[in-house]
Amino acid sequence: MAILISFDIDGTMEFGDPPGGITLEMVRRAQELGFLIGSCSDRPPSAQQALWEKHDIRADFVAPKHGLDEVKSRFEADDYLHIGDRDTDQQFAERAGFRFYWAYDAIHEPWLTLGDAQDLP
Amino acid sequence: MPKQSPIPDELDRPFWAACNEGRLVIQHCTRCDRLQHPPEPTCAQCGSADNLEWRQVSGRGRIYSYAVMYDTPVTVLQADQPFNIVVITLEEDPGIQMLSHLPGTTVDQVPWGASVQVEFETTPNGQKVPEWRVVG
Amino acid sequence: MPTKVPNAPESWYRTREGLGIWPHRGKVAAVGVGLSPTARRWDGRPETSVGAWSILALRKAMEDAGVSPDQVDGLVMAQDTATGSPWPPGKPVPEDFLTTFQPTDDPLDGLTRLSAEWILQNTPELTNVKFTMYGPGCMSNAIVVAAQAVGEGLTDTCLVLKGWHNLEGRYYVGQGAAAEDTIAGRAKWTTGWGTVACYPTAMHFEAYCRKYGVTRDMHAPFVVNSRKNGLLFPEGFYAQHRPEPLTVEDYLSARWIAKPASLLDNDLPICVSAAYLFTTPERARDMKQKPVYILNHASDRIKIRSVMPTLEETEECAASNARKLYEGAGITANDLSFEGMYDGFGQFHVFHLEGLGFRGVKRGDALHFFQTDISIEGWNPVSPSGGNIGSGRTRFWHHTDAIQQIQGRAGKRQIWRKAEVGVTGGPFPYGGNFTVWGATPG
Ligand SMILES: [Zn+2]
Repeated sequence: MAILISFDIDGTMEFGDPPGGITLEMVRRAQELGFLIGSCSDRPPSAQQALWEKHDIRADFVAPKHGLDEVKSRFEADDYLHIGDRDTDQQFAERAGFRFYWAYDAIHEPWLTLGDAQDLP
Repeated sequence: MPKQSPIPDELDRPFWAACNEGRLVIQHCTRCDRLQHPPEPTCAQCGSADNLEWRQVSGRGRIYSYAVMYDTPVTVLQADQPFNIVVITLEEDPGIQMLSHLPGTTVDQVPWGASVQVEFETTPNGQKVPEWRVVG
Repeated sequence: MPTKVPNAPESWYRTREGLGIWPHRGKVAAVGVGLSPTARRWDGRPETSVGAWSILALRKAMEDAGVSPDQVDGLVMAQDTATGSPWPPGKPVPEDFLTTFQPTDDPLDGLTRLSAEWILQNTPELTNVKFTMYGPGCMSNAIVVAAQAVGEGLTDTCLVLKGWHNLEGRYYVGQGAAAEDTIAGRAKWTTGWGTVACYPTAMHFEAYCRKYGVTRDMHAPFVVNSRKNGLLFPEGFYAQHRPEPLTVEDYLSARWIAKPASLLDNDLPICVSAAYLFTTPERARDMKQKPVYILNHASDRIKIRSVMPTLEETEECAASNARKLYEGAGITANDLSFEGMYDGFGQFHVFHLEGLGFRGVKRGDALHFFQTDISIEGWNPVSPSGGNIGSGRTRFWHHTDAIQQIQGRAGKRQIWRKAEVGVTGGPFPYGGNFTVWGATPG
């Protein structure tokens, strides 16, 4: 099962400003499970790309926060998730047909129980 | 489009009362023969409070400019985003402006310079507000 | 210590054309600069409050100028420090803040506003301050007031201060009156329709593009250049916290706030304080930094005809402001080495530049001008500080930069051509306070 996870940055990722609860380790784990990962944030796309590179993560996509629908049209997946810490994250996610998780809930990595990941130890 | 309901005050009560009767009135200084909007306690030109009256206007105007709101601070308007906010100028005096959501016009398809006609929209508390629609 | 600090009298502001040379031209000098660190939002610690950072900025400005605190006899500042997210009603003021600093009768003093009383009682080394006054709102206003005060001999060693705080929450969104079902007062004519702070500028810019046959993408080089300059400002927010340049594509893909104004036409609220030390040319001789002479100041008090300023009112106001600035300083547009007009909202800069006639730019020309070399390396440096776009919302980077440019210590931002005369100010092209700075007294 193909899953795409989009992360907001500020207030969501540990390298955000302010730092959020989602760690690079969680992102790497999602990537190891074959999920598509990337960011949709109010940071400019070029800055998002630079941030992922700085942390040695090859992001599948970066997009402005209102660009989730465009991300969806670019990638075929069974489930689309967006993780964020603001009302605007929720609004843009729902408008684009993404399931939305608040960053403080998402630190439990709810995606690990989705699809094939359920079978993993 | 559901808006915030205006609460009339001493200064603008006649304006809102007229709206409820389907009329558009604008403050007018008889000494200067000059329209003034928003209403003020005194005429901005001669400084007098004694010559201000309310004058009914035609309700015809033109589109001056606009922007499309995607991120309004106003809670009750957020569900309708994005929406047009258009600056209308009055036929009687293009210096006089009102804002409009331009009902009947698609978002971001605002016809530049087009003629508009006033209509009155009822807000949740019953107070009517002037809105504008493209004509012709 | 004064008990009630006044706002500057309206007569101090040079709001009309035809006033002639400013009587104090070249008799007031900026010498010291002090800046606090920056942060996106207050982290709740007393030592990072706007009060604490303002004291830090003041101390740095004195140290920079080589002035001892007891030599300072004046303080001009803005009281307002808000960036758009108010203190939550009913939330208690942190106890450690109240015990770290001596409070005034307002427990939020030093946190969400800043009075001269609070500053003076918490900066005990300022023992000789006899003149205090507010230049409300912006550093642009405080500078004008301090220049006038030094010129009139009311203070000869004067600190000029502006601080900003930023708390949790989105910029005015869904707060206060915006969250209500009803609307009262003058807001009925404007914000009741859902306008946001950048709406008038967006609406002007739409009218501007149609009037002059230009397009929004032509604005991108200005925004990209401003961030590039800002990243060369070591005291700035982006240089310190988000040192990534902007691309044209970033600008064009940013989400709309009020189209044609996007997120990147709006500035980022931050926490930071700045202070300058103003003095007389005579006293400046004994100080550590080269004096930067104030050649004139001017202010706009536009009376708009109706609900919003029109494009035409905006253009005329900016042009009139420039005529005032040039007249009082005894200069022309040709004398400007650089300009540091306000940019928060980005499109303000278009109207400011055209008003100034910077490098011969006429109405409708600015976006074409942005397609030429506007970098600090070129002959026509536009906004060498990078302004709010480059370093976050303060409305003072351009002033700081003007002082540093003329002193020759703008570091990597130092413009290639000799910085002799600069003009700065803001906020609005349809209303604000502006200053002409020079390397010589005129
Ligand atoms: Zn009159």
